[in-house]
Amino acid sequence: MLALEPLQGVRVVASSEALDAIPSEDGATVLRLAPDDVFVLDGLLDLAVADPHAIVAGEPGFVGSWLGPEELAAIVVPHIEWPLPAERPALAQGFVAGVPAKLWLTADGALLLCAAAYAHELTDRLR
Amino acid sequence: MTAERRIVVDDRPMAFRDGESVAVAVLRTGEHPGHGGTLCLAGDCGNCVAEVGGVAWVRTCQTPARPGMVVRRHPPTGGPRLPAGAQAEAMGEPWAPRVHVQREQADLVVIGAGDSGRAAAADATRDGRRVTVLDAGAGVEVVGIYAGPTIVARTGEGMLHLHAHEVVVATGAAEIQPVCPGNGLRGLLTGRAAERLYAAGMDLGTAVAIGTAPDGVPCTGLAGRLVRFEGDDRVSAVVTLDDDGAQRRTACDTAILGLGRTPRDLLARMTGHPAVRVAGSAARTFDLPPPPAEGVVCPCTGSTVEDLESLWERGFRELELIKRSSLVGVGTCQGGACLPHLRAFIADRTGQAPEPFTARPASRQITLGEAAAGVHVDAFRRTALHDEHLALGARMDRFGGWWRPWHYGDHLAEYRAVREAVSVGDVSTLGKLVVSGPDAVEALERLYPSRVADIREGRSRYVLLLNERGHLIDDGMVLREAEHRFVLTFTSAGAGNAEAWLRDWIKIWGLRVHVLDRTMSLAAINVTGPLATDLLGRLGLAQPPAFLRHVHADVAGVPCHVMRLSFTGEVSYELHHPVDRAVELWRVLLAAGHDLGIAPHGLQALQGLRLEKGHVIVGMDSELDSTPRRLGMDWAVRMDKPEFVGRAALERTAGLPDARRLAGFTMPGPAPAEGSPVTSAGEIVGHVSSSFTSPVLGRAVMLGWLKRSPFPTEVEIDGRPASVVSPPFYDPEGARARA
Repeated sequence: MLALEPLQGVRVVASSEALDAIPSEDGATVLRLAPDDVFVLDGLLDLAVADPHAIVAGEPGFVGSWLGPEELAAIVVPHIEWPLPAERPALAQGFVAGVPAKLWLTADGALLLCAAAYAHELTDRLR
Repeated sequence: MTAERRIVVDDRPMAFRDGESVAVAVLRTGEHPGHGGTLCLAGDCGNCVAEVGGVAWVRTCQTPARPGMVVRRHPPTGGPRLPAGAQAEAMGEPWAPRVHVQREQADLVVIGAGDSGRAAAADATRDGRRVTVLDAGAGVEVVGIYAGPTIVARTGEGMLHLHAHEVVVATGAAEIQPVCPGNGLRGLLTGRAAERLYAAGMDLGTAVAIGTAPDGVPCTGLAGRLVRFEGDDRVSAVVTLDDDGAQRRTACDTAILGLGRTPRDLLARMTGHPAVRVAGSAARTFDLPPPPAEGVVCPCTGSTVEDLESLWERGFRELELIKRSSLVGVGTCQGGACLPHLRAFIADRTGQAPEPFTARPASRQITLGEAAAGVHVDAFRRTALHDEHLALGARMDRFGGWWRPWHYGDHLAEYRAVREAVSVGDVSTLGKLVVSGPDAVEALERLYPSRVADIREGRSRYVLLLNERGHLIDDGMVLREAEHRFVLTFTSAGAGNAEAWLRDWIKIWGLRVHVLDRTMSLAAINVTGPLATDLLGRLGLAQPPAFLRHVHADVAGVPCHVMRLSFTGEVSYELHHPVDRAVELWRVLLAAGHDLGIAPHGLQALQGLRLEKGHVIVGMDSELDSTPRRLGMDWAVRMDKPEFVGRAALERTAGLPDARRLAGFTMPGPAPAEGSPVTSAGEIVGHVSSSFTSPVLGRAVMLGWLKRSPFPTEVEIDGRPASVVSPPFYDPEGARARA
């Protein structure tokens, strides 16, 4: 059964230019949710953002699970109606089994994310 | 020696051979798989449908026979029985097994593996395309093509949803069925059906052929035009009309019809998508049959030529209208048998053949389980406190896209905790946005009808959200955090739309404002009641904010945005905090407030509490066209502002008479049902939108609409006299909330 665990990170809403400049080294994964919106997985609140009006906030609202390629194919892919992007890494966003979700696709597999408020629905539907 | 394999048809065993369909197995016994009519054995007509394995309307000619398969003919009149779902449910069994869905992406999909289908696939393969061929003969039965294009097919394993870049429909042509008296008899076959049965070794008896004779099937060809079939149950003779006008009667056991062909293009007609094209015979234009003169046109519905003539005499001329009025084409075969005859009927009278009617999925009868396969109901969110509510005995229900506690067993006790002591309520579902940017004030001034620029840091204001027509679409709070930064709250149900509304306007106006939705990142607990301040003091909130102010402070070690406001009419603090700290904070609050008489309250209590205060719930007390004036909320609109969404409409309509008002009502006794009509002098003048039997006031209090002017001051509700009053009903000065 899919186990979705709470994810910690920082959410930043700022100008595209400022978000482009956020460094992704130090092990942090920067997920570009929108041109003006990123979720920095395992990021810290003291993140330097070159936008005086940026909104930088701790983001406890996501849960997720890392899946290997076989798990991705077996558990998730049958429940999506959109094509997975071919390139890696890539962030895909859309419904998974009718639940709003995101997939951070890497060469080693994927991180399946959704809002914690939807965790039970997604888990039930991917059972 | 191989044991004989059998299916069971109407409780009688019938043997079948390898590879045979159910229809052929039944025909081999001398019976008809349905109740009569021409058999095509190609899935084009509905004359062989029966219940197979408990599923009705199955084309038995397309269903391979399997040992033990249970087949039941439909009743001769009326529809087949419905599955005994209620009985299954009572036994604790699912109504039907869940149907598996396979979703795939494809480049080019060819439907049909006949000559044209194979040619299309070969051409595309040569061009380097990735080709997927779907063929009913291989067990993949396409039932629909949707926008996308998306192909939905039934397979042996379940349903296939195939998203394609391009689709080629190469489904060939169907054989035309006869329309004349007696066309519902047994013993009638199309040419290709006769060829298949003969090749399968079946004895067709004395066979005659009308029109093009089948290849290799011993039969006598008849000249002339088909007039009728004769026979009691099975055809015994065919009557034809010679060129010289003489009728000729020919005795037979089997009549084989070679009346021409018609494109099998149903799937192609389901979508006008440019990526769907037709190939081969399905794309050909064939001659229409002669106009039907007598008999059943649509075997599925039993509609006759006489029915069509009656409609024509009454002025029906359009193909689509005649289809809807006569039901020709709406049955099992979706026009497979009747469409060419209907077109010929109209062409004969207008001189022009109409285009075929629109086709819609599904082209094959599918079960509800197959139709619903892979479809999910809306996902309802849970707050971080969901399990806490359940542990406290809450009855959960769905509101505004969330699971929320309706009550914890005794909503009046919850009400009393709020009015007399202290209570906690889970308000995590409220919409919560952070806006920031050099143009944030400008954006909010344009968005809201209230003033925003003069809200000082650390203060807040209740606001309405209007559309361009000046109608209320949501409400909430604006809280100023810094010169260029605000927090906005919205209703639980309206938050999603409100966010989209805000983002749209900001983009349209070209303003420099960032927006972050925190609705699912922050939980919120409303601590409310006369002892709320005491409770929070115990948990470290030494300097609680005054009414309509807000601070960031730790409560029991949990970082909170503490907002002082009131929906209940009592002192209230909303504690907005990270969702991952919600359970911790909730438990600490309940534990620390135990000796104060704390109890959680659900929505049922909250609805009464807010109603006593006359607070409106958007969508419950407001209607789609409720203006601030109609709601009695003009006080929340500053028409001296130069611009805000809805201002022009409010200005334009301000001087017009308006016979609609949201009003308060009160009367002794218990509250009537919400929705009750409000009458005056025997006429209905409005209805109740919210009602509550107020424990603290000892009478019924209501909000509702008056829709006749002059507005009465005394009305009747639920057959009892009631007074029209101005809310709030409770603590009209608001002293308790400000305490």
